[in-house]
Amino acid sequence: MRELVIILLVLLGAPLLGGFLTGADRVITARMQGRVGPPVLQPFYDFFKLLGKERFLINQRQVFWVIGYLVLVITSLVMLCMGRDLLIIVFVMAFAAICFVLGGFSTRSPYSHIGSHRELLQMLAYEPVLILLAIGVFMQNKSFLVKDIWTRPEPLLFSLPLVFIAVLIILTIKMRKSPFDLSTCHHAHQEIIQGITIEYSGPYLAIIELTHWYELVLVLGLVVLFWAQPIWMGLILAAIAFFIELVIDNICARMTWSWMLKVTWTAGILLCVLNLGANLF
Amino acid sequence: MDKATSLIAILMWLPVIAAVLCYIVHSYAFRNILVWLTGITLATVSVMLFATGPFDYQPSVIWNGMVEAADFVLMVLILYLGIKNRHKLIINLTLIQIAVLIYFDFFMGPHTAVNPIFVIDNLALVMSLIINIVGSLICIYGVRYIAEHEEHHPVNKTRQPRFMFWLVIFLGAMNGIVFSNDLMWLYFFWEMTTLCSYELIGHNLDKEAIDNACRALWMNMAGGVAFALALVLLALSMPGQPLALRTLLASPGGATGTILLAVALLVLAGFTKSAQMPFQNWLLGAMVAPTPVSALLHSSTMVKAGVYLIVRMAPAYQGTYISNLVAVAGAFTFMMTSILAVTQSNAKRVLAYSTIANLGLIIACAGINTPVAISAAIALIIFHAVSKGLLFLSTGVIEHNIGSRDIEDMGGLVDRMPVTTMIVAIGVLSMFLPPFGMLMGKWAAIEASTQLPLVALMFVAASAVTALFWIKWLGRLLEGEPGLAHKKPEHLAPHYWVSLGGLALGAVIMGVMVLPIMNKVVIPAVKASHQNAGLIVQGASIAAETSRTIIGSFTPWPLFAVLAVVILAFWLLFKPGKATVKPIYLCGENTGALNSVRYLSTADQEVQSSLSNYYFAGYLKESKLNEFGNVIAIIVLVILLLGVKVL
Repeated sequence: MRELVIILLVLLGAPLLGGFLTGADRVITARMQGRVGPPVLQPFYDFFKLLGKERFLINQRQVFWVIGYLVLVITSLVMLCMGRDLLIIVFVMAFAAICFVLGGFSTRSPYSHIGSHRELLQMLAYEPVLILLAIGVFMQNKSFLVKDIWTRPEPLLFSLPLVFIAVLIILTIKMRKSPFDLSTCHHAHQEIIQGITIEYSGPYLAIIELTHWYELVLVLGLVVLFWAQPIWMGLILAAIAFFIELVIDNICARMTWSWMLKVTWTAGILLCVLNLGANLF
Repeated sequence: MDKATSLIAILMWLPVIAAVLCYIVHSYAFRNILVWLTGITLATVSVMLFATGPFDYQPSVIWNGMVEAADFVLMVLILYLGIKNRHKLIINLTLIQIAVLIYFDFFMGPHTAVNPIFVIDNLALVMSLIINIVGSLICIYGVRYIAEHEEHHPVNKTRQPRFMFWLVIFLGAMNGIVFSNDLMWLYFFWEMTTLCSYELIGHNLDKEAIDNACRALWMNMAGGVAFALALVLLALSMPGQPLALRTLLASPGGATGTILLAVALLVLAGFTKSAQMPFQNWLLGAMVAPTPVSALLHSSTMVKAGVYLIVRMAPAYQGTYISNLVAVAGAFTFMMTSILAVTQSNAKRVLAYSTIANLGLIIACAGINTPVAISAAIALIIFHAVSKGLLFLSTGVIEHNIGSRDIEDMGGLVDRMPVTTMIVAIGVLSMFLPPFGMLMGKWAAIEASTQLPLVALMFVAASAVTALFWIKWLGRLLEGEPGLAHKKPEHLAPHYWVSLGGLALGAVIMGVMVLPIMNKVVIPAVKASHQNAGLIVQGASIAAETSRTIIGSFTPWPLFAVLAVVILAFWLLFKPGKATVKPIYLCGENTGALNSVRYLSTADQEVQSSLSNYYFAGYLKESKLNEFGNVIAIIVLVILLLGVKVL
């Protein structure tokens, strides 16, 4: 019964929250740039407009992978809320991202192929930090289960501060923000048009937007883990992290994928290793 | 003879008889039926043997002398091969082994007879299932493939009979390895697989094939020397005791001094057979052989003999310095070869590096040496055999159809060969993604690695790289032309349907059935040598347990349900009638038909767009990476052997 409630809550609540946050993102970003920006509910208007559009596509496999992307992101969010094994959650997230990548690979568009390659490189960049996060949590809790974090009285942030900074770097990649908005974004038009999503339009693009909302809630959920008790502190932490990401997005230019790999595989991994190493002694 | 012993006899003798018949009777029709029947029988018998459960078996003592004699025959044969190829290294290594054997047999006095010679415990039963089911499917595939192979590469006198001879007899030798308790017998079968792989790799008889076969031979003979020396050291340090695995494993963690050095030498032999760094090159060179050979070497035989020995001996080196070094060496190979796989555009080399990587992971698990890690190792051996066999066989089918094994030539294969592409997709996804068995193994491996931070870190890096090389290959296969019509499935021979279909179905069903497999197959095999299995089945979950607390858990069925939902949702919700097919966007006016990739560029020049994968040539150089890896790996091996004195 409890599981069913969680599933329903995630299915219905997460897109509302994710869509709202995306709207807030657009307003805050606009204000930072001295613009007024669209209404907060604009992402929802866009979403429903996309749903009603004519259906154009190249072949049906594009749709298959996008459905896989959506369903697997929802699955990982549900698993996070149910307190399952953090390592498995990371692997399900990887499967979700791979579905998105394969959607980009489904056509012969050079732009979506570049996007897919870059998305793979982004995965390569963030995957180690996520697994190290899981290992770091294990070293504190002697358990990989998220439910043991929810019941932990002391915040993880105090024992994993450097890992938290590494997760913030990862968050920039997962939220597709500058300097790491490499694989698909609205701003890289001169370079890769829309990257992975170039061959998607109408309702199929709407599914991708919806998935991104779920994904946003998912990655912010990982931030909440750092201050799980009381949960509102975790939510504040996530809100702060969200705001930091917007600031970073607005003050950075898009960098190359090689720079991204260098940053995450040196600074990101090093921060985690230092933190975990210090905790050992 | 009771039932169980007759089953053993079938598993060891049927491959020999069938192989000889394949060699004598030069008829495709006969060979075809024979291999089908042999394969079906071996698979059935291994299942029956598994159902019978563990037991010991002592064949007549006469066989002991026969095996000793056969050892010499084998060595003389290999010596002849060395002389024929004018390969000094092979000659020297063989001479050393002959000298060691002569000393061992004639100057060390009579050895205590081993009783029983065969110990069929749960681990051996698991291995025999893999060898006889996956191996048989590969032989069935092989009988057809090698016939087609000779159409592509005409020869004066057909070499199919000898090919099938070595392919089928390989299974017998492997069965021998996993059943033997007597180390002398194990050594004989071990060298037998070395000979088989030489003959199979050199099958095409061109210079490249022979060179690579020789490389495989000398590297494995180096392992053989280590094995033979280990036998002498054990005989010296355990006087009066039988030279058997059981004696060696009798006192867990108790190996010291000379015995420990012997264990280290056996581990080294396992490294050569499993192509761990710095011995990886023989397995990569083996790619020149016809595909069934690669499939057999990589999935169910040869390399699995190496990891089998290392996992088998895990209790003997538990708690010693060897254990940690094995973990580090395995994890290092896992990491380096995963990175190397990224640089490859030859599909078979990608597969080869990934095999070495996965073997590294298995060996690292043996080195971590906790119950969870050993469970992970055995699960990985099982699931890897199925998925990797599948991927090799499909690559072979692709190669025969498009005449290339280069990934860049496989673009859009989904339109040309939809069935094979789908099977490759199943193979790739089952190699490293949840909820399939391999991922379960990797998950358990990472959870077990937390006590060895360096190993954990290398696991993390390797695990992240894995997705990159698999998906960029799969992506090329899946790129498709515009259009919603279902493509006509390609024609596949019944041999291919059975082997590819069987393995693909196997990969999926074994993923779904992971709980019973853990319960009935993996956990009993771990308990053959450990008090508890570390991984336990709890309701619908597999839980990792250390010192009686649950540290993690994995529930496969909801994830399979989710995948079913994806397929169902696509099937029910996607209405092709309502969608319009468009050409791809190329940043200029498309020219030609709907599926054209040409467009009008600057000044109305018609340009053809083209696609290619990233290989990171500017960042990663295969030769440099290999050099670096070999240096580190050799240092680790030197410490492994000298450590007895120093550590």
